[in-house]
Amino acid sequence: MGKVDLNFKPAVPVFDANAELGRRHDQRNLKDTPEQIFEEMSRAGVDRALVWHPNGATYDSMEGNLILQELIHGDSRLVPQFFCNPSFDDFDVFTRSVKDAAVRSIRMVPHYQHYPFREWVVGPWLDWMEREGLALWLPAVYTVFGNTTELNAADVYDTIREHPHLNVVLSEIHYSNVSWAVPLLKSLPNVHVETSRLTIADPVNRFLEFMDDSRILFGSRYPKSAMGIHVYALHHMGLPESTVRAICAGNLERLLGMG
Amino acid sequence: MQDIPVVDFHAHLGNWGRFGMLDTPELFLSCMDNAGIDLACLNCIFYGDSYRGNDRVAEYVRKWPKRFAGAAFISANYPEEMVPELERCFGPLGMKFIKIYPHYVRVSHDDPLYFPIYEFANERGLAIMSHATHYFDPPSVSVYKRYENLVKRFPKINWVMAHAGGGTSSEVMRAVRDFPTIYVETCSSGLRNGGIEYAVKNGRADRVLFGTDMPLLDAAQQLAKVIVCQITDEEKKMVLGGNAIRLLNLKL
Repeated sequence: MGKVDLNFKPAVPVFDANAELGRRHDQRNLKDTPEQIFEEMSRAGVDRALVWHPNGATYDSMEGNLILQELIHGDSRLVPQFFCNPSFDDFDVFTRSVKDAAVRSIRMVPHYQHYPFREWVVGPWLDWMEREGLALWLPAVYTVFGNTTELNAADVYDTIREHPHLNVVLSEIHYSNVSWAVPLLKSLPNVHVETSRLTIADPVNRFLEFMDDSRILFGSRYPKSAMGIHVYALHHMGLPESTVRAICAGNLERLLGMG
Repeated sequence: MQDIPVVDFHAHLGNWGRFGMLDTPELFLSCMDNAGIDLACLNCIFYGDSYRGNDRVAEYVRKWPKRFAGAAFISANYPEEMVPELERCFGPLGMKFIKIYPHYVRVSHDDPLYFPIYEFANERGLAIMSHATHYFDPPSVSVYKRYENLVKRFPKINWVMAHAGGGTSSEVMRAVRDFPTIYVETCSSGLRNGGIEYAVKNGRADRVLFGTDMPLLDAAQQLAKVIVCQITDEEKKMVLGGNAIRLLNLKL
């Protein structure tokens, strides 16, 4: 008989590294309010979540970041992640907003926002993030109205190579992105991976064959996916507890300077 | 931890390099053990002929008869080989059900091209798993009508819609409610929130089959979709194994 745990609760603290909060313009999210994310966190045993607002990707990063802060309303269970559009945002205004809100990580979607992820576009922004110890999240894909854009791996490699002290998190790596994501992770030790779409068989053990567990972060892609799926799976992959603990919360805390 | 029979209805053999899909017995068995899966139903669709893949499946079943069961892949690119291969699969190879993959021929599975397979299956009351919709379907296609026609013409076949148990199609669930020989299977790379709840509440709990798509997808994650979804424990037991055991008359 297979042994499964119908009453599962996580054995370690859990900090979700990829949750969307708020309304989208192109569809109705299944769940989009703070109350709903708290209910989901409670059900899944998730203590905190790093959250971003979709408006920051689709229309105006500064405005999306403001809406995000309104929704969070100072609740420490939700940690804000700001969108940045280096080809559109005012550098001084944006960096001041990050400082004022004590934000520790930035999300960019160059493929969706139509700018090259090249040094001549993002270089000054990445220099600033390196100086301030801010981490950068790069989703492999971004989908609006059912149309998906994909990160340019060659651009990411060439540019991140010039910023060896910048912590970068590849987010939402799907099996269709694995062919470039694995060589990228092998090549650049400051690049991490978030688990929400890492759905190939035994993904963590396979990635641990070429990188250590400090570079893997639990993420759910809530509300598209339930938060509890990866939490349960991470507890049932034959991993040492120290690795589960690092992936579920410790690595994200360290990247955000919250350890 | 609870002891529950768990059957994976949808697993593949073969490597698929462009998607990082790696097939080794060690990987398969460790994923199954860690997730708590008793038995995985294997098919192999990666070769131009059906023989080579079915031989690979049969080899796994021979080596690990308590952990794997075989699903016969029948290619519609070679209609003349369909029935002889079915006879081999359900004779000496001891397969449990049939897998077809209309993507390879770009002909939907309600086309007469497949009828020799269906006549064979109908005579024996076998199950057939296929994607319910295809990328080449016209926008006007009705899944309900497609299956209504199939069910009426081949009433003894149990039809399994691969992946449809993780989605939210009202038309699919109406077919599940209306026709007692239709099942939906749960695996999906999207790990979509609410999909299994939708299938159980709008279809029928006794017609939802747990599947993983291993090793393209991970066993523990696909199983976790059932564990964390908001249905009753009894419904979870049916989805995880009870329904497959009944459908395939398995002895675990």
